[in-house]
Amino acid sequence: MSASRHRAEWWITSPSFIWLLVLFVVPTLMIFVITFRPSDPWGGIGDGWTLETLRRIFSGHYGAIIWRTFWISAVATALCMALALPSGYFIARASLRWRSTLLLLVIIPFWTSFLIRIFAWKVLLHPDGYVKQALVFLRLMDADTSLLYRSESVLLVLVYTLLPFAILPIYAAAEKFDFSLMEAARDLGAGKIRAWLRVFLPGIQRGLVTAVVMVFIPALGSYVIPDIVGGPTSEMIGNKIAQRTFVDRNLPHASGLAAGLTLAVLAPMLMVLYMQARRPASKQGAR
Amino acid sequence: MESFLEFRDVTKSYGRIHAVDQVSLTVKRGEFFSLLGPSGCGKTTLLRMLAGFEQPDQGRIFLDGEDITDLPPNRRKVNTIFQNYALFPHMTVRENIAFGPRVAKRPSGEIHEEVERMLALIMLEEHAEKYPHQVSGGQKQRVAIARALINKPRVLLLDEPLAALDLKLRQHMLVELERIHDQVGITFLYVTHDQGEAMSLSDRIAVMKQGHVEQLGRPAEIYEAPVSSFVASFIGDTNFFDGEVLDTAGTDYLRLRVEGLPEVWCYNDKKKNIGDLVHLSVRPEKFRISKDVPSDEPNLNSVQARVEDIIYLGSLTRFRVRAGDVLIAVTQQHSRFLLDQEPIQWEDDVWISWHADDSYMLDRVTPESPGTNGDVGS
Amino acid sequence: MKRSNIPLYTTVAVLVFFYLPIAVLILHSFNASRFSGAWEGFSLRWYIRLFQEPDIWHAFRNTMVVALIATTASVTLGVAAAFALHRYHTRLQRIHYIMIYTPLVVPDILMGMSLLLFFVAIGAKLGLGTIVLAHTSFCVSYVAMVVLARLQDFDFSVMEAAQDLGAGWWTATVKILLPMLAPGIAAGALLAFTLSIDDFVITFFVTGPGATTLPIQIYSMIKHGSPPLINALSTILIMVTFVLVWSVQKLMEDKHA
Repeated sequence: MSASRHRAEWWITSPSFIWLLVLFVVPTLMIFVITFRPSDPWGGIGDGWTLETLRRIFSGHYGAIIWRTFWISAVATALCMALALPSGYFIARASLRWRSTLLLLVIIPFWTSFLIRIFAWKVLLHPDGYVKQALVFLRLMDADTSLLYRSESVLLVLVYTLLPFAILPIYAAAEKFDFSLMEAARDLGAGKIRAWLRVFLPGIQRGLVTAVVMVFIPALGSYVIPDIVGGPTSEMIGNKIAQRTFVDRNLPHASGLAAGLTLAVLAPMLMVLYMQARRPASKQGAR
Repeated sequence: MESFLEFRDVTKSYGRIHAVDQVSLTVKRGEFFSLLGPSGCGKTTLLRMLAGFEQPDQGRIFLDGEDITDLPPNRRKVNTIFQNYALFPHMTVRENIAFGPRVAKRPSGEIHEEVERMLALIMLEEHAEKYPHQVSGGQKQRVAIARALINKPRVLLLDEPLAALDLKLRQHMLVELERIHDQVGITFLYVTHDQGEAMSLSDRIAVMKQGHVEQLGRPAEIYEAPVSSFVASFIGDTNFFDGEVLDTAGTDYLRLRVEGLPEVWCYNDKKKNIGDLVHLSVRPEKFRISKDVPSDEPNLNSVQARVEDIIYLGSLTRFRVRAGDVLIAVTQQHSRFLLDQEPIQWEDDVWISWHADDSYMLDRVTPESPGTNGDVGS
Repeated sequence: MKRSNIPLYTTVAVLVFFYLPIAVLILHSFNASRFSGAWEGFSLRWYIRLFQEPDIWHAFRNTMVVALIATTASVTLGVAAAFALHRYHTRLQRIHYIMIYTPLVVPDILMGMSLLLFFVAIGAKLGLGTIVLAHTSFCVSYVAMVVLARLQDFDFSVMEAAQDLGAGWWTATVKILLPMLAPGIAAGALLAFTLSIDDFVITFFVTGPGATTLPIQIYSMIKHGSPPLINALSTILIMVTFVLVWSVQKLMEDKHA
């Protein structure tokens, strides 16, 4: 490649490249670096290096929280997939006119401030709210149990906020899927369910993987949801990070926890990127 | 010969592949000239070099005496009709057509007049305010033509313009293109892989293969007198016969020994001698086929054969007959009322005959082309 | 082929699930009663109260300023990034692509945390400035992906056609490329704007005294009471988001397909 083309490439790449390098890559690396620094009395970062923070983290009783974080995220992911698969399939099969309407309907809540949506559930699940009233009326629960401030409410709101992230990739993959393959399978004798399992699901597997990743990873890092509708028994790692940052003012400690979360998050993401790199890319770079 | 457009020793390589290999050809002013060949033969690359989108690695390109090789595309007085038309989707038909003159900053009165003239030429006056996505494929094509012609280019380049159209539309557009060419009188350089298009539209054709020109000439020349087996089989159907010269009867005609057939006579236009190898191409329509023994005319080749395949097409019938081991394709035009005659059936024994003047001696046999020694080429 | 009705029922259930809380919220913003458990008649009092709150206006102003600056910056960076990613296929671009793609999957809390650490480490003062920097950073990726998608669908033969007809590189870019790309760029800009006005977690981590944005304001209102005002504010934000998203969808639809 000629030198002037190199230069032109660098000129157009450098603005975003340098910006993200400084304001994304470096800060992410800092999460790991700051873990090894002490905290200073004013809630900032002290000088020197120390392993104190790491020691405290490993001796702190984070086991339960970590386990709960993974467990809730996994269940949320499973529920999202169970709901997203039929919906995504349905929207992809719908006529064009309906399709854009349905997509719009799915997307709008997706873009509404998620704080608002979480708050909406807090209202709904409130002891004086409609849902509680209805459930008590139907004798499905007694007046003492609370719908809020427990793991179940966190799970519910998690699924609520993350479901669009699952529907959209599944829809996108299903839309590109050649449904005559299903007809061929039926023609060759496969039952409906078999055709679905053996032909459709493998056919959209990239969408499935994307959906899982798009739900699981944000779920791991959720903070606001457990903070607003969860209680002390449903804290997740995000809460702890925020707590150490704002309440305890111990940045290195928070940083250490964040480092752990980063590693947990990067693993599936790198796996997805690796898989994408191995298969022939569908839309990577025309020409 | 007055050369209006000239490619001189033009070469373009991609890595080790020569897309265009030392091609030299000239096009006359006002000609309808076609570059014909299979995909990968270099015809599109040659066109793009003329338009300015590719640079030749070697060689020069001259237009009306001027060396345009180093000019950027927007400075050449050459316009292109792209295969997918490349109409600007955010502009109306009128604005698309007016684009060239607008960029050239012509006075707006003049632009308006010219656009109206173009719209009349392509007969799309009522669609002037429509957007490209609102008009049909054939109409888009006409807009592309108008958009190019309004700039009065010295050469109009057409890159497989009919490839995206269905059969009926293609036939209609063939007529349109010819009409526009006659009306406007500009030199057309037409690229296609379809020999029917090339033959029906062109004044001259350059048949290309793997980066070089196999043969250049008028359509009839190319069809009747192909220089190589590639050209012979690329255009239309033919039969190939390879033989050795046994006798030069008065040096006008040759007697050949062709494997699998009785002796064959052919016209000796290439001045061959005894012992030389000769490659003949005989087009299917040059044969006569009949159940009766043909009369004994001088220089008439006659062979007995058995009918193996019949394809009836209404105005003509395509036969495949076997003479010895040799399969021969014969086309019979039905110029008399067919039902009055006794039809030729499968497995009939027939006589096929052709005149020694009606075969053509090829200069060379292209290695990959199908058919030697009487096989049917296609 | 007889279709199972499960997909249909699921989709309907999902949509009801999506809109139920929002509908209740909007409903209650007009509820004269403080308590969402009882309906006491239609009223606009909460909206009126809302408009009288100085804190809210302050937060609104901050949110707008941040969103406008962040959108402008991220669109500039994002469009350039999209061009680079589309045009070149070098090792540099592969790294570039990972850098653009990763922020899209990283949870907000990690982005917020990392930026906070960064700003503290370099001694920057936390406030609107750091918020703008943070918002720009996560918006760039979205803009880039949207514009990149448009570029990949873009048929560059129209650029050749423009040159063929006499336009130089600059004229062709201005008269052909940009107008055709404009809807995609506008969609990216609207996306960035929407993300910026709605962001909470990242903003929360990098904000400083006096730099309250609407989401932060809402959060503190949730934590410290006055639910009816939140209902009203939320309803307004929902309506605004609805309009913005609808516009983005319209722009992303290829009119000329």
